[in-house]
Amino acid sequence: MSTMTSNGYLENLVQSWQRPPAASSNWLDQLRANAMESVGTLRMPTTGDEEWRFTDISPLNRLPYPAAYPTAELSLSAGEPYYLAETAHRLVFVDGQFAPELSSIGDTTGIVVGSLSSLMATHGEKIAHKLGNLAEYRNDIFTALNTAFLRDSACIIVPQHVSETAPIHLLFIANQKAVTSYPRCLVIAESGSKVRILEDYIGTEKDAYVTNTVVEMSLGSNAHVEHIRVQRDNQQAFHIGNCTVSLAPASQYHSISITLGAFISRYNLNILLNGEGAECTADGLALISDQQLADTHTFIDHVKPHGKSRQLHKCIVDGMAHGVFNGKIMVRPHAQQTDSSQLSRNLLLTNKARVDTKPQLEIFANDVKCAHGATVGQLDKEEIFYLQSRGLSDLAARNLLTYAFGGEVIDRISIPSLKKQLEGIVLARTQIS
Amino acid sequence: MSAVLQNLVNQPYKHGFVTEIESDVAPKGLNEDIIRLISSKKNEPEWLLTFRLQAYEKWLSMKEPQWQNVKFPKIDYQSISYYSAPKPKKKLASMDEVDPELLRTFEKLGVPMHERAALAGVAVDVIFDSVSVATTYKEKLAEVGIIFCSISEAVRNHPELVKKYLGTVVPVGDNFYAALNSAVFTDGSFCYIPKGVKCPMDLSTYFRINTEGSGQFERTLIIAEEGASVSYLEGCTAPQFDTNQLHAAVVELIALDNAEIKYSTVQNWYAGDENGIGGIYNFVTKRGLAKGVNSRISWTQVETGSAITWKYPSCILRGENSVGEFYSVAVTNNLQQADTGTKMIHIGRNTRSTIISKSISAGRSNSSYRGLVRVTPTAENARNYSQCDSMLIGDQCGANTFPYIQVHNNSAKVEHEASTSKIGEDQLFYFMQRGIGTEEAVSMIINGFCKEVFQQLPMEFAVEATKLLSFKLEGSVG
Repeated sequence: MSTMTSNGYLENLVQSWQRPPAASSNWLDQLRANAMESVGTLRMPTTGDEEWRFTDISPLNRLPYPAAYPTAELSLSAGEPYYLAETAHRLVFVDGQFAPELSSIGDTTGIVVGSLSSLMATHGEKIAHKLGNLAEYRNDIFTALNTAFLRDSACIIVPQHVSETAPIHLLFIANQKAVTSYPRCLVIAESGSKVRILEDYIGTEKDAYVTNTVVEMSLGSNAHVEHIRVQRDNQQAFHIGNCTVSLAPASQYHSISITLGAFISRYNLNILLNGEGAECTADGLALISDQQLADTHTFIDHVKPHGKSRQLHKCIVDGMAHGVFNGKIMVRPHAQQTDSSQLSRNLLLTNKARVDTKPQLEIFANDVKCAHGATVGQLDKEEIFYLQSRGLSDLAARNLLTYAFGGEVIDRISIPSLKKQLEGIVLARTQIS
Repeated sequence: MSAVLQNLVNQPYKHGFVTEIESDVAPKGLNEDIIRLISSKKNEPEWLLTFRLQAYEKWLSMKEPQWQNVKFPKIDYQSISYYSAPKPKKKLASMDEVDPELLRTFEKLGVPMHERAALAGVAVDVIFDSVSVATTYKEKLAEVGIIFCSISEAVRNHPELVKKYLGTVVPVGDNFYAALNSAVFTDGSFCYIPKGVKCPMDLSTYFRINTEGSGQFERTLIIAEEGASVSYLEGCTAPQFDTNQLHAAVVELIALDNAEIKYSTVQNWYAGDENGIGGIYNFVTKRGLAKGVNSRISWTQVETGSAITWKYPSCILRGENSVGEFYSVAVTNNLQQADTGTKMIHIGRNTRSTIISKSISAGRSNSSYRGLVRVTPTAENARNYSQCDSMLIGDQCGANTFPYIQVHNNSAKVEHEASTSKIGEDQLFYFMQRGIGTEEAVSMIINGFCKEVFQQLPMEFAVEATKLLSFKLEGSVG
């Protein structure tokens, strides 16, 4: 059929996939096999698909990047500039593989932190129950690929009523060019627990590679999870991220995602408020320039009554970059007393920059409060004039306002050293001279 | 309180009756011969037949759109009769000669034409099914050089104007339904305002769908020359039928330098009964081209009828400093579905657009706002403000918002806001405290909710719309 046009990227991956032994009853092998079956029924999205209308990933189709095997040497100091002082545990993954020599796992009394392989024996059952269950691989090709090539995963299990105050740093390093890596992460926050997760993507390479990541988070009742995601891949990379979060009654999920890197990046964040009275915030900042494309698709699904969601997404688009935001908020029938608000704000710095935004509401319950807003524009002349009247140059005024625009999201990050790092990056990027 | 609401929602359709007039109906189905038949019946020139055939060819290669948020059984385009005209008697010189049966129909609808024309100063180009029967006030308009007639008359008398503009805003292959319309349109209105003329009165067309099983394919073309201005009203009612009727109209507006066109619609077609049986499918393509500098196109619509409404009155803002406006109230009840909104395409410099959309859903209905604001790289200093508010009445209805914002120019300023709410208990309580009953309170709240749009309507329509809304939703709020 003509729809099965040759796709170098996909074909190459499918060919390199190794079928697990047929007799294997291992659930993980089974999951991988099922996911591979789904890959066979799916195709790469094109701009003809509504969900990918503004993000053309066709450049990817020409890159026959196989799945990454950890071969390249990585010096022990490569990740050091990114290590944070406040973290209790640090899990480092190189090209999707756990790197114990770079990781540092602190005091694990009361909490389970580690790679999938190291926890398989002790917590296999719990993990099997959740892994691959939240992230729907049957209708998303990238999730299906990630699951089919699942080799290792960061696993964090916070037992009931345990509160881990120091953040857990998950550092994913891309260390090879021309490969696809499949970072994976599973977080199980049991009822009444509290945890902070930092999901961090960096690249040591200068050339193109593909990162296809899947994160699953399951929150028990009254659980409290803070999730900070920083994507700073190199400017040639392709980054596809999927994150699915399920919330039990009265649980709280707070997410901040910062997108700085990648040539083409796409982040799908699905938050399912499956329990009554669940709350979430989903903030985001994309700061892009040159020819970058950053696409954020969020889906907040209010399934049960008394849910609350807040979202602020900002894009600062410089050069010839292209920012895309699609924020869908669904209020299911009977999800009464839902309170939801969403704001998409976009700043265009040049006349070649481009933004496509679509805040979207789908509401099927009547007793709800839902609002959304979107703005696209450049810096306000009045504001620049005000700063000039205070003695700032035109350029300084512009830089300051641009920095402040992004600062609103950075400010919400609760890890001081990370906040400082990011402030530095945003400051450097917004100081156009 | 919900009982009151229920009653309000369940008002039967007032205008359901069929006028018995002998109709000249073409055989069902669509093929080249039918198109040739329509063309020859209407004594059309060769170029128009070519236009139709081109559109038909395009249509054959197109697929029905699937993206809209509405559900309906597949339409069999071969079981529709594409031409139906009241049997021609003889040309009428005055209103007295109009078929009394026809006049009675309008009377039932509360449109006493002659009276209305005289009292309100409205010229009504009456469209009964597909052929224009009588046109009033034509002479008065002719004095200032305005051409206001049916499009078939315009083809006969002003072919150069029709040929120049027809299909320039909505090309024959624009979309599936527009292509269908271009192939088989039978009649519609034509309006031409010459240079510098301000139309002395509001122009109005009353549509009426009659003859069971005949789809209606209207074609409206309005041209405002340099410095001209016109306000055009369109109102619709249709009798009650069980088979779904397809309505695929095309409206094209062209505003040249400094011209202004205001197009207002009150749509109250048969929406089907409370089980969603019957009702009109309203698949309309409306588009205005603000071609000249400082031109202005304004759409105002009150959509209360139709089983399915699928329309996006749009503005292409090509002229420098041109302005586009869209004011809409959409009310859905029972099993009605509406997917409506607008497109504002900013091309010229300093173009501005405003979108105010209010939707009210009750019963098991579903209403969506789908809008597009696009700022192209050439549109320096474009400005848009959009506001879409939805109100839900009852817990079985749905309201969706799909605003697309595409900005390719950094000097643009685009703002979009949307909210969803219901009529608050506190609001009703406040009214009751002041001695105002639930029903009246609801009516007042809804009218307040829609006020920004109603303000845009011409006086007569504003009154009608207010009434229409309260009667549409009578008893549905609790």
